[in-house]
Amino acid sequence: MSEINLTLKIWRQPNAEAEGKVETYSVENISTDSSFLEMLDVLNEKLTHEGVDPVAFDHDCREGICGMCGAVVNGVAHGPEKETTLCQLHMRHFKNGDTIVIEPFRSRAFPIYKDLMIDRSAFDRIIQAGGYTNVNTGGTPDANSVRISSQQLELAMDAAACIGCGACVASCPNGSAMLFTSAKVSQLALLPQGQVERKERAQAMVQCMDGEGFGHCTNTKECEAVCPKGISISNIARLNREFLKGIFTGRDD
Amino acid sequence: MELKSNVPEGPLEKKWDNYRFSSKLVNPANRRKFSIIIVGTGLAGGAAAATLAEQGYQVKSFCIQDTPRRAHSIAAQGGINAAKNYQNDGDSIFRLFYDTIKGGDFRSREANVYRLAQVSNEIIDQCVAQGVPFAREYGGTLANRSFGGAQVSRTFYARGQTGQQLLLGAYSALSRQIKAGRVTMYTRREMMDVVVVDGRARGITVRNIITGEIESHAADLVILGTGGYGNVYFLSTNAMASNVTAAVRAYKKGAGFANPCYVQIHPTCIPVHGDFQSKLTLMSESLRNDGRVWVPKKKGETRKAADIPENERDYYLENKYPSFGNLVPRDVASRNAKEKCDEGQGVGPTGLAVYLDFAEAIQRDGADVIFRKYGNLFQMYQKIVNVDPMKEPMMIYPAVHYTMGGLWVDYNLMTTIPGLFAIGECNFSDHGANRLGASALMQGLADGYFVIAACVANYLGTNKFAKVDETNEAFLSSRREVEDRLQKLLKNSTGGSAGKCTVDEIHKELGKLMWDYCGMARNKEGLEHALKELPGIRQKFWDKVYIPGSTKDINQSLERAGRVADFIDFAEIVVRDALARGESCGCHLREESQTEENEALRDDANYSHVAVWEYTGEGSEPKLNIEPLTFENVTPSQRSYK
Amino acid sequence: MWFVRFLTSSIGKKMVMAVTGLCLILFLCVHAAGNVTIFVGSAVFQGYAENLHSHPVIVFIFRVGLLALFLIHIGVGLLLWQEGRKEGKNRYVVNTWVSKNPYAMSTMPYTGLFILFFVLIHVFGFAVAPTHDQMISHVIDDALSNFFYVLLYLAGFAALFIHLSHGFWSMLQTVGINHPRYNTLIARATWVVPGGFLCFFSLIALYLLTTSTY
Ligand SMILES: Cc1cc2nc3c(=O)[nH]c(=O)nc-3n(C[C@H](O)[C@H](O)[C@H](O)COP(=O)(O)OP(=O)(O)OC[C@H]3O[C@@H](n4cnc5c(N)ncnc54)[C@H](O)[C@@H]3O)c2cc1C
Ligand code: HEM
Ligand code: FES
Repeated sequence: MSEINLTLKIWRQPNAEAEGKVETYSVENISTDSSFLEMLDVLNEKLTHEGVDPVAFDHDCREGICGMCGAVVNGVAHGPEKETTLCQLHMRHFKNGDTIVIEPFRSRAFPIYKDLMIDRSAFDRIIQAGGYTNVNTGGTPDANSVRISSQQLELAMDAAACIGCGACVASCPNGSAMLFTSAKVSQLALLPQGQVERKERAQAMVQCMDGEGFGHCTNTKECEAVCPKGISISNIARLNREFLKGIFTGRDD
Repeated sequence: MELKSNVPEGPLEKKWDNYRFSSKLVNPANRRKFSIIIVGTGLAGGAAAATLAEQGYQVKSFCIQDTPRRAHSIAAQGGINAAKNYQNDGDSIFRLFYDTIKGGDFRSREANVYRLAQVSNEIIDQCVAQGVPFAREYGGTLANRSFGGAQVSRTFYARGQTGQQLLLGAYSALSRQIKAGRVTMYTRREMMDVVVVDGRARGITVRNIITGEIESHAADLVILGTGGYGNVYFLSTNAMASNVTAAVRAYKKGAGFANPCYVQIHPTCIPVHGDFQSKLTLMSESLRNDGRVWVPKKKGETRKAADIPENERDYYLENKYPSFGNLVPRDVASRNAKEKCDEGQGVGPTGLAVYLDFAEAIQRDGADVIFRKYGNLFQMYQKIVNVDPMKEPMMIYPAVHYTMGGLWVDYNLMTTIPGLFAIGECNFSDHGANRLGASALMQGLADGYFVIAACVANYLGTNKFAKVDETNEAFLSSRREVEDRLQKLLKNSTGGSAGKCTVDEIHKELGKLMWDYCGMARNKEGLEHALKELPGIRQKFWDKVYIPGSTKDINQSLERAGRVADFIDFAEIVVRDALARGESCGCHLREESQTEENEALRDDANYSHVAVWEYTGEGSEPKLNIEPLTFENVTPSQRSYK
Repeated sequence: MWFVRFLTSSIGKKMVMAVTGLCLILFLCVHAAGNVTIFVGSAVFQGYAENLHSHPVIVFIFRVGLLALFLIHIGVGLLLWQEGRKEGKNRYVVNTWVSKNPYAMSTMPYTGLFILFFVLIHVFGFAVAPTHDQMISHVIDDALSNFFYVLLYLAGFAALFIHLSHGFWSMLQTVGINHPRYNTLIARATWVVPGGFLCFFSLIALYLLTTSTY
């Protein structure tokens, strides 16, 4: 373990309406074993003692699974480490004297609440548009009644691993939510349980996604590159297929 | 306080059927006239909201996070139990029931646990139908693993992300109901109070975390699925927002709090690395299937693990418990690790860690087999600690993980306040003094998907409801109380920050006191010491805590301060409960109550009961009530893992 | 209505881009096949051209179709570009590209517009301007013996190469072709196809520059 000193340039914005700006702070003696969020905790403790409003940021599990944390660090969503959420990014990846620029995830569809805190409720609405199977509680068939090859299952699980953090949107030059949407569509398209609504699902979710103000996909692969769960853009190709199939063979209303 | 368990008549295996048959129902057409508030969108709350809305009730659902999908349940790794017996290895509902009761060291209610085992199978069917990708065998049937030393393979899992996948299943069912307009979802709301009208819970007071507004919400009944209170120790494996506020508010309004001293301390967590540490990370228990736990025999050893020869290593679990070895239950493994470290044999920079070594397993099975089994855990460990467990042994240390205690509920999952229900980790019901691995997810979903609906119908069907809305005096006075309390929290903020402390500083102080004196091993002297110290911490908090900003907008320091204030109040009943329970049982080890071989010694003659704490007003001592436990179908035995 | 839903959706518009892009690629293939005759000899090429023009209906349909393809591809391309700019990668104080070779994809509209510029000159020079008594083979020979003209052509081909070095793969991804079994093949084709066009067309231009027959 060693300790480093850092200069932080952080986006400060008191509320949704206010204009924000970048403020510069310094933190000293940050253990390289600490996580990025713990480094921000140290900053916030210091700011509080100085009587300054601490930096607001979202976080919860600090284990890389809840998808609550996230910020753009030196231009990269969740920072420089591959397949790592901000809370799992450790300070050993920075050097003494580094300047780190920290900004919120930005997108038209993700308004800023305060500092690094954003509103990602658009993601919920995309799921509400069709990211489920229409089964009620109770009366479901025995879990082993349909066999699913482990290969197919693993593919579905790869897609299901999405934590809904929004890094894909934040890093996409068009602010597209295709990776997020495609992950859910893929999971359900790959499983026998998801077949009943299959033809309507992709259309409904894409329509909602477009309506929320997310951009279109230009296949830049930025989303895949920053995704903390390594969700592949092959899911986007699958979404495109599902969408096409739905449009041309689905019910027309 | 009257503690009627309301366990239905009949033989054990018929009780749940009898209950459902004899309970009142609500006609489907009438259900939409009833409104239900559910606080929490974890496995318990999320599943309950979806299920009750499907049945036609009007549901209002609340959570702290920005979306229901991020509740703390998401972090569960290992798996979920069910008595499917898919592996044909002798499992049955009765065996799951028996293991759970025994694992809980005979401190839970038989009827509740049996019901849990009964509905466990339906949970798996339900989740699969929702598209939860449980692991499958090559042939396409569901895979199982043996977990936490169970003798059968009954644990279903989705890689190391079972909690996530189950929660996303519940979340998708909930999303469907939100879309259908049957659930109104309130995210980023923190429940601050329960509102009781004419002796019944009729609503809640919440704070909108974004706008700072205090809101009142009325309904016909209130269900709490607000999770556990592990964060009273500051450092735990729980998510940062996990809190006891909702439960404590209910407690102060008259709900009994059961067995608060039962706190599970998980043996395989990544050790603490410094003062700035904010939380502890769990490493799945499955690691103990192949890893060997050891410490150096020599105290204050400075050599690296690889340089310590075999005969100078102390494989203390294997030596002490030859038949279970490294797979002894969590409490036993944790306690022994602590003992070794207390004796000075601990490793790592702080001396508060033991080795979990895979060298032998790698030699036996080959590196790729071991990596395939544990690769993602190893990578997680390496990300945090920067050490590759394939090359060097892991270092682990116990950490606070799960709380078996919670709001007291009867067989109806109702607290001592009529109309206030508690489900999931928030109640005390099924795990006794110790929870088995993979059983919390099972309980959360059992309560949420299958049990609560029957209980709610029964309650609604047997009572008449006067119309109550948010203008009722009880709501107004609750709002005033909440607002006053927030103002009180901010009172030190005028006059600058000099000489004041931050919320976290006090939370850490509280956590350390609790860990040192009410942690893995407890004794009278230490507990009394903690009880003496607590008022000082409370005083310091109210006199010194500095919270920048106002109550009127986003203020994360204020949110945390409110929670810490409740943790401080709550810590008192944890300590009192630990003190009152003079026996050792499950996770609660009283040093005074041990066998000659230093094993936990239960005292059924005096403590075969649920301890339920009753609030008696600010500044006055809480009252202890007792629900005796009787066992008709199993015979309590002393646990032995030798 | 399903096609309105299709065309107004983000994926639908992208699919229009992909399909028109594919048609343009196919056209380039046909175009290239025709051009092979140049190597065989001026007379054969002239024959090909005359043969082509002796079927005015086919030529007309071809021209209108091609024009429509271009117009749709350009129109929708610019529309999407405009929409994408609402967000913009540069919305951060620090902007970093993480994925590999971002240049081709971030310059799609620019390479596209340059292709358009080139195509206009090309079409204007060879297909529209020449009076009927001039032989097409001569016109081409003439033009392409001019060094700067050839340079312009080479630049146009380079732009096409860059455009397709993202566009070819992107087109397949858009219509949903992405499979571990074929991804290596697709990755190679994404260099081979644009590279093939680049080499072939450049070769013609250089061939004509060096073998100017007059
Ligand atoms: C790291 C880890 C791994 C685990 N692994 C396993 C495992 O493998 N198997 C297993 O069976 N169990 C496991 N557990 C335990 C299990 O995850 C939990 O016990 C269970 O998920 C609790 O679910 P819940 O629904 O009761 O509460 P939670 O999931 O904690 O949900 C609480 C909800 O209440 C809301 N809430 C809380 N307070 C308030 C308030 N004041 N106002 C408004 N809303 C509020 C929160 O927003 C949240 O939505 C694990 C636990 C941890 C920490
Ligand atoms: C012969 C000429 C051309 C060919 C073969 C061609 C081919 C392609 C192909 C295959 C794509 C990929 C489609 C996808 O991503 O799904 C594409 C995209 C694009 N083309 Fe062209 N194109 C040509 C001319 C033009 C012209 C003249 C423009 C003028 C503006 C243009 C602008 C674009 C743009 C902006 C895109 C990106 C669209 C997006 O990803 O959103 N192209 N082109
Ligand atoms: S805090 Fe949960 S993913 Fe980072």
